[in-house]
Amino acid sequence: MSLAPLQADPVLLPETIARALFGGGDLAIWQEALAAFLGAFVVGNIMLAMTGVAGPWAKRKITAAFTDRIAVNRVGPAGLLIIVADAVRLLGKELIIPEGADRPAYDLAPLVVASSALLGFAVIPMGQIFGVNLMLADPEIGLAFVFAAASIATLGLAMAGYASNNKYSLMGGLRAIAQNIAYEIPLILTAASVVLFTDTLQMSGIVAAQQEPLFTVAGITIPSWFAFVNPFAFVLFVVANLAEVGRNPFDVPEAPTEIIAGYQTEYSSVYFVLFYLGEFLHIFLGGAIIATVFLGGPAGPFLPESLNFVWFVIKIWAVFLFTQWARSAVPRVRIDQLIEIGWKGMLVMSLANLVLTAVIVGVML
Amino acid sequence: MFLNIGPHHPATHGVLHLKTVLDGEQVADVEPDIGYLHRCEEQMCQNNNYRHQIMPYPDRWDYTANLPNEWAYARVAEDLNDIEVPEYAQILRTMSVEFARIMGHMLAVGTFALDVYGDFTATFMYAIRDRELVQNILEDLTGQRMMFNYFRLGGVVWDLPEPREEFFEKVRDFIDDLPEALEEYHDLITTNEIFQKRTIGTGVIDAETAKQYGCTGPVARASGIDYDLRRDDPYGYYDELDWDVVTEDGCDNFARLLVRMREVEESAKLISQCVDLLEDWPEDERDIQSNVPRTLKPDADTEVYRAVEGAKGELGIYVRSDGTDKPARFKIRSPCFNNLHSLEAMAQGEYVPDLIAALGSLDVILGEVDR
Repeated sequence: MSLAPLQADPVLLPETIARALFGGGDLAIWQEALAAFLGAFVVGNIMLAMTGVAGPWAKRKITAAFTDRIAVNRVGPAGLLIIVADAVRLLGKELIIPEGADRPAYDLAPLVVASSALLGFAVIPMGQIFGVNLMLADPEIGLAFVFAAASIATLGLAMAGYASNNKYSLMGGLRAIAQNIAYEIPLILTAASVVLFTDTLQMSGIVAAQQEPLFTVAGITIPSWFAFVNPFAFVLFVVANLAEVGRNPFDVPEAPTEIIAGYQTEYSSVYFVLFYLGEFLHIFLGGAIIATVFLGGPAGPFLPESLNFVWFVIKIWAVFLFTQWARSAVPRVRIDQLIEIGWKGMLVMSLANLVLTAVIVGVML
Repeated sequence: MFLNIGPHHPATHGVLHLKTVLDGEQVADVEPDIGYLHRCEEQMCQNNNYRHQIMPYPDRWDYTANLPNEWAYARVAEDLNDIEVPEYAQILRTMSVEFARIMGHMLAVGTFALDVYGDFTATFMYAIRDRELVQNILEDLTGQRMMFNYFRLGGVVWDLPEPREEFFEKVRDFIDDLPEALEEYHDLITTNEIFQKRTIGTGVIDAETAKQYGCTGPVARASGIDYDLRRDDPYGYYDELDWDVVTEDGCDNFARLLVRMREVEESAKLISQCVDLLEDWPEDERDIQSNVPRTLKPDADTEVYRAVEGAKGELGIYVRSDGTDKPARFKIRSPCFNNLHSLEAMAQGEYVPDLIAALGSLDVILGEVDR
């Protein structure tokens, strides 16, 4: 099987920074570490800024559009300054720690949830902005790493669940574990079917494999994004991702009308913010994985390659929009139905998809 | 595991406390603990006179569909004191009460969707939007948006707002647009596969058990009990109009939702007939109130129980007089109170989410449970 030759390896962000700071040539360890730290700082802040827009403002606006309302429109243009107001409000709140909370675990849980999602962005090829490649690292195990990092969040949810000393939190935590186990396997199996095509787990390799044209219809060239090559896997992945990030119809770990807020019932102030950050970062990370694996990464028409970060942002926001849409319009399944769908439906379908893909790849290519 | 659901919980629609015992996530036992919204309504009614002072209180019982409550009091007081109500006023009462029923059912459908869907759901806002239209019409009619206080002993307080044509047009517009709006709900909820999976076969209560708990209204009718006071104990103008009692045999959460949605259609049918009648009514016969004495002193030791079909079921009032102008005993038989306690039969062995869904499908208004 032949693949398009990988594009000339674009320079990663830490290296760009190192060159700008210290010039070329050999670098000392501390120079490399500083450059890497600065790179991570930049990428982390881009994602946090995006979450800051998404959480207090975009989410409200989107939900309002779905539910026939107006939402924030008084503070600043189109209500945008609500972001500032909300930040002040949330940080100014009293941090209440329930009696009998398991202290280190209770304090660590929000950090684990927020940082695990952020960690996943280390290997996501986010494309270029003015020629600067916003990718922190490109290890050979990229795809495996991003799933591993994202799964750590479940640990945080379980910790929050039991450490809060609250029955609702405990139920939420247990639900989160059951759900993540049930849906992570189909998620990874579906991603594995893509790896069969690409022969590599390296994120840049997966993106590069999607650059060839698939076919041309009426002068429009459809690229060989895996969403077009294997739409079945794409649908499976998007659905499993809804469960992974805990959005309707699979938002049972939080399920506000049933168990109040699940694992985050007892969290307030900064810890609450961290949970929310983690949640939105997870949605964006899910979007980033979908974009990278199925939608050709940062590739897109009309824009020069040096600006394709814009396309990446559009793609992950599209996924975010989709999760909000599901939230407004789709009922929540019951916990036993959720597990049933996961183990009896999604798992079987993703295995079938994997086997079929393996046969097709083995026979035809 | 013992779990307190409420009194402050997103799904209790007010202040209700469910003492729940769970086995895993399944409900082993549930006991509603009520009384958080108790306002001594019965005592207050006993301290006030029949003629003017009691009428505002019924609005505070079931505050989502208030007008049937007013009719419950009007009916008992009028029968106690032998007051006639002009036919024209009866039509006005019938029409306004059916509007209130639509209001109550819209809210019930919306909040039920909220319980099953999650906290950000389009259905709830759509239901509120359509309820708003009814509220606007009732505001034109009564001058109020919530605590209407529209009924008086012997009739109603106002005639239709002038110009009448404008009001009729507004009502007809609403009635004409209603099927389309209901279609939207059917698209969004009843035909949704996940929703059906959640609601069909959950929160089941068979007809016999429902009768034992004293369930009435949409809850009973969804269990196949063909009982509607508007037909079985006719009052107002109902026996002159053409409409059907809605029943379903599902006995589950889904059936209760369907009954409410179909009852909205029936109410619309009633309203459009009332509007036709009101439009053609001769101008010199528009009596909105009969002559009622300034002070009402029914004979001592007279007992009356009269009930009307409220949005939630049989809303009855028992009054015993003692010869003064105030009731000696005033007792409200609230449909929500009985319906709520059937929850323990419905939720037995169900998962927590279905307990919440069953509670939503009962459509309890705590103002009426606690009074």
